[in-house]
Amino acid sequence: MHTFELITPASVTEAVKAQAGSPTAQQGAPVRFIAGGTNLVDFMKLNVETPRQLVDINRLGLDRVEALPGGGVKIGALARNTDVAQHELIKARYPVLSEAILSGATVQLRNLATTGGNLLQKTRCVYYRDTAFACNKRNPGSGCPAIEGHNRMLAVLGTSEHCIATNPSDQNVALTALEATVHVTGAKGERAIPIAEFYVLPGATPERETVLAPGDLITHVTIPALPDGAKSVYLKLRDRASYEFALASAAIVTQVSGGRISFARVAMGGVGTVPWRSHEAEKALLGKAATRENFRAAAEAALHGAKPQTQNGFKVELAKRCVTHALTLATKQA
Amino acid sequence: MAPIDEKDPQPLTSLERISRRVFLTRAGAAGVATATAAVAAPLSAQAQAPTAAAPTEAAAVPGAVPVTLKVNGSTHRVMVDPRATVLDTLRETLSLTGTKKGCDHGQCGACTVHLNGRRVNSCLLFATMHQNDEITTIEGIGTPEKLHPMQAAFVQEDGYQCGYCTSGQIMSAVALLKEPVGADDASVREALSGNICRCGAYPNIVAAVQAVRHMA
Amino acid sequence: MQDQAQKAVTESRIIGVSTPRIDGPLKTTGTAMYTSDHNFPGLVYAWPVIATIASGTITSMDTARAAAMPGVLAVYTHENIGPLYRTPPTQGFSMIIDERRPPLEDNVVSYYGQYVGVAVASSVEQARAAAEAVKVTYDKRSHNVEEKLIGTPIAEPGIKKGTARGDVTSAFKNAAVKHDAVYSTPNETHNPIELHASVAVFKDGRYTLYETSQAVVNHRDVMAAMLGVPPENVQVITRFLGSGFGGKLWPWPHAMLAAATARNINRPVKLVVSRSMMFQSVGHRPAIDQQIQLGAEPSGKLVALGHHYVNHTAMEAEYDEGCGEATGFLYSCPNLAVTSGLVRRNVGVPTAMRGPGAVPGLYALESAMDELAVKLKMDPVQLRLLNEPDKDESNGLPFSSRHLKECLTVGAEKFGWAKRTPAVGSMKNEDGATLGWGVASCAWGAMRIDTEMSVELLQDGTARVTCATQDIGGGTYTAIAQMVAHETGLPVAKVNVILGDSALPPGPISGGSWTTASVTPAALDAAHHAVQTLLVSAATFPNSPFKGKKPAELEMVDGTVRAKGSATPQLTMAEVLKGANVKGITGTGKSQGTFGAKEEYSFHSYGAQFVEVTWQPEIARLRVSRVVTVIDGGRMLNPRAARNQIEGAVVMGVGMGMLEGVEYDRASGAPINASLADYIVAVNADCPHIDVTFLDYPDYKLNALGARGVGEIGLAGVAPAITNAVYHATGIRVRRLPVRIEDLMGAPMHLA
Repeated sequence: MHTFELITPASVTEAVKAQAGSPTAQQGAPVRFIAGGTNLVDFMKLNVETPRQLVDINRLGLDRVEALPGGGVKIGALARNTDVAQHELIKARYPVLSEAILSGATVQLRNLATTGGNLLQKTRCVYYRDTAFACNKRNPGSGCPAIEGHNRMLAVLGTSEHCIATNPSDQNVALTALEATVHVTGAKGERAIPIAEFYVLPGATPERETVLAPGDLITHVTIPALPDGAKSVYLKLRDRASYEFALASAAIVTQVSGGRISFARVAMGGVGTVPWRSHEAEKALLGKAATRENFRAAAEAALHGAKPQTQNGFKVELAKRCVTHALTLATKQA
Repeated sequence: MAPIDEKDPQPLTSLERISRRVFLTRAGAAGVATATAAVAAPLSAQAQAPTAAAPTEAAAVPGAVPVTLKVNGSTHRVMVDPRATVLDTLRETLSLTGTKKGCDHGQCGACTVHLNGRRVNSCLLFATMHQNDEITTIEGIGTPEKLHPMQAAFVQEDGYQCGYCTSGQIMSAVALLKEPVGADDASVREALSGNICRCGAYPNIVAAVQAVRHMA
Repeated sequence: MQDQAQKAVTESRIIGVSTPRIDGPLKTTGTAMYTSDHNFPGLVYAWPVIATIASGTITSMDTARAAAMPGVLAVYTHENIGPLYRTPPTQGFSMIIDERRPPLEDNVVSYYGQYVGVAVASSVEQARAAAEAVKVTYDKRSHNVEEKLIGTPIAEPGIKKGTARGDVTSAFKNAAVKHDAVYSTPNETHNPIELHASVAVFKDGRYTLYETSQAVVNHRDVMAAMLGVPPENVQVITRFLGSGFGGKLWPWPHAMLAAATARNINRPVKLVVSRSMMFQSVGHRPAIDQQIQLGAEPSGKLVALGHHYVNHTAMEAEYDEGCGEATGFLYSCPNLAVTSGLVRRNVGVPTAMRGPGAVPGLYALESAMDELAVKLKMDPVQLRLLNEPDKDESNGLPFSSRHLKECLTVGAEKFGWAKRTPAVGSMKNEDGATLGWGVASCAWGAMRIDTEMSVELLQDGTARVTCATQDIGGGTYTAIAQMVAHETGLPVAKVNVILGDSALPPGPISGGSWTTASVTPAALDAAHHAVQTLLVSAATFPNSPFKGKKPAELEMVDGTVRAKGSATPQLTMAEVLKGANVKGITGTGKSQGTFGAKEEYSFHSYGAQFVEVTWQPEIARLRVSRVVTVIDGGRMLNPRAARNQIEGAVVMGVGMGMLEGVEYDRASGAPINASLADYIVAVNADCPHIDVTFLDYPDYKLNALGARGVGEIGLAGVAPAITNAVYHATGIRVRRLPVRIEDLMGAPMHLA
């Protein structure tokens, strides 16, 4: 690890200013915000991230969970995962988010990790994590050993010939299904970014994961109200029973009216290079009866175009079962 | 100063040693001053770390920065490498070695401490960032002569084998008592899944935690 | 003595009684001192530089930048580390080491992660940064980390013949029912939560080495040989060991790096191996392919058993896993042959891991037995009962104490095996999930190793017991205290046990499940001698109330001395010693090893593992939900600690069966999942309901206590019981561990 300078701004404005001069906010940024540190400290120890300056944003407040007029919720970027998952508002309105967060990591990590930090959680690809290897995400243009190598955990959707790294988050899958908005304060003022536009597919520039620019500080996330009677569920499948990243997961929000599906959101984790929203699956569900066959058809649609890697072909079928079963659970509650 | 085992005519057990525990810091003098205590000295007095090596003594580390940490109710002013984690500072500078390093990456839970009353992985905390926080380590929970009920339950239920992950298990278990965890064993298992025990003493760990919860 | 000990043991209020560990208050308060907890004034830190190729030579090492970094004291490479010698050949239990090449011996690299340098600095952060700043240039050669073993070139001297009898080839050929399959297990790692570590103190030509060692005496001998100093100049200390599972039995190269750097810079050095290095250079259970050929009569009687295995080893090591360990004696079979071979790979040096040989060997054999039972349409428990031998057919020796049949029948009863319906997928739980039930037998050898012990009875009313052996976590401290408490009548709390120091009377390795059987007779013997001398003192000191009595007319009961058959007068041990003005009375004890002795019995522990898996095909989720384990392991001296070890072994078995396996990156040769997030072991939530039963038949042929040791037996048989249960639930036979989700995706969604 390199030595670094620690900066402790007293306000959002100061924090933004501290990072605004950085040439990038993406991989390898010389100036980094740090909150819980569960991801960044890990990567700094591995020399995967080598910031010269750390901007400690822990004293900026930004940690509240509040109801919004109209039935939505606002979650501060520094709200800890534990607090969000256990917040009465979240448990009551968005069980999918609470369940997703609680399915990830451990109590110790969730006590540190923040909402904003989790939005920027990095991939678990073993090649990305080890500087002895080439990696287009860490070292653009160096190559991708994962494509011919150890890729069991990696993505089958949204991949490119340059990168097949999975987005490992659980929280972000739920936020995707909930159509959350990421609020950012940057050098040029405040922006609201729909989560669907927040992440960038790897394409030819896998080092760029989000639309964040230098100085952009995530201040909070808002989630709109769901239709009355909508149910939500998160289902995560993995090798061991806890403390492991998803092989496949599904965040589902549904509403069933008169036996027919009147509202559907389907997002998947563990299979995509970004938290994966499937409009195809949603389209396949709308207006259909809540039957296992229809759920399976939606799951087939969700994985349409999936590109298995050498070791993870099973993920395609696993994700289908995950979506199918999550839909069964979500509608059973209804 | 010679290592204790060379100085003493006979090697000591840890059982013996604890009763005359010396806290040696790399810097030396500060720790040695508290060393000594006669065999019967109250353990609680010695389970405290030395009031920290004064910054000047640790200046042996070039580029060290001053850090003030509040650990188990005591304030320690020390000089550490600016990259030092809370874990390494506890172990290498404050000689509070009850907190263990198992992976250094948040993947095992051996380094679990309480930060402002909540359990966290101390390997993922930069010491410089936690100067205003209250840190509690296993040494602040109880002593061999005055065990915390959770520590006593681990002894009673044999909630360990080698003992290396035990500090972390107990720090998690103590924190768990105040967390919203279901009453059943399965909930406890999930809540303790962030603490790997390679010896596999999980059934007894769960029994210890449940015994304390039933007492309450 | 033997009968007396047996009687005493059966009537003891301490031996055989669940006793809380005497080191519990230390372990639960963070005050037990593990190796890396040792800090000394002037201590500095070492961090190794690792090779990032798997085969080749170093052409240059640029250390200038690293050496110039703040706090850096030295950077060593093969050019300047100074003398490090190879050990002479192994003699008995001395000079054992698996990686014989000293670190930095030359510029040759034969595995990824091999140490090629070491940086020393005043903080651990500086040392690590410096090590990572060393620029190494290589002449890279092609490497081989190929997973496939059987069918690839066998290393010299080729296929070796193991135990054999009859004519297995023709018996198999002519058998009415046959099964022939290959079973594969991956590189598995010990990965105790305590990282390997060395704290080396060099002073006046002497080394005090705090090590993570399961064998401090051997460690001292090896280090002395490698450092080129007399053994009396080296002291190795392991007060508390954060387990090892075999990985800490023999020294690994980091220990030499720590000692050599301490010598070179004349300051105490701490070197803690990182978790990723734990996958590279501290040993592992090798990857193994095993072919099992079983031939049987239609009745189920075995007529042929062929067991042919190949394990990988490193380029410069001859590690043979010994998979035929249990094959020769487990079942009655007139025609049997075990053969083995090694294949060389560019991997770190393999070593013994919990239940070496037997654990992977029984995975193959007990899987094959299950497959045979399916072919025979026979209950798998019955098939095993039917093939029970009446002697060890590999050597004709009688069994010292064998109750495998009872393990199987008691286990079947406890598990509810009678309710099992054999058809695949035919059993469901109340939630509608499919259940699979599987069974496997297990066995593990029992032995004793030479042990010496000293017990000192002291004026303050305590006893002080010393032995070089170490407590790996199995409860050796407590077992020894129980023995001395039993023999002296002192409470366990008054017995101080000092272990883990090569300067103390030599004791056994913590391995092979041999420690308990070895140390407990020595402890009893030492305490007995101390008491006898105390009685002499009691009979002779001035003003003794026993004046005129012969020592033989006195006895020690419940910690007090009295004349035999007379309750008064009595003196406490402390009163005798004070009366005699003696500070302490020492007795020494010995226990002879069984190694090299003429074998009269076949000594083994046995067991049966019954496993229930729960299978939810709709989400491809498989979990081990219930395990019933019945162990025939001799007398349990501390049943609570023994049960804990068996439960823990079952948990490790869940990992072996379902989760664990190192994968090598073909392109680089690196063990690629080298972290606890990528090489996953069982967490608390993976732990099934475990029911452990001990049959508790003392094995008096092994020692007067009838005790064997249970560190390994509990792991044997778990993995095959899991895969057998998986077959019962899903119809899929997994012959390559671990069982993974992708193996089961093809299972039918709806069965029966």
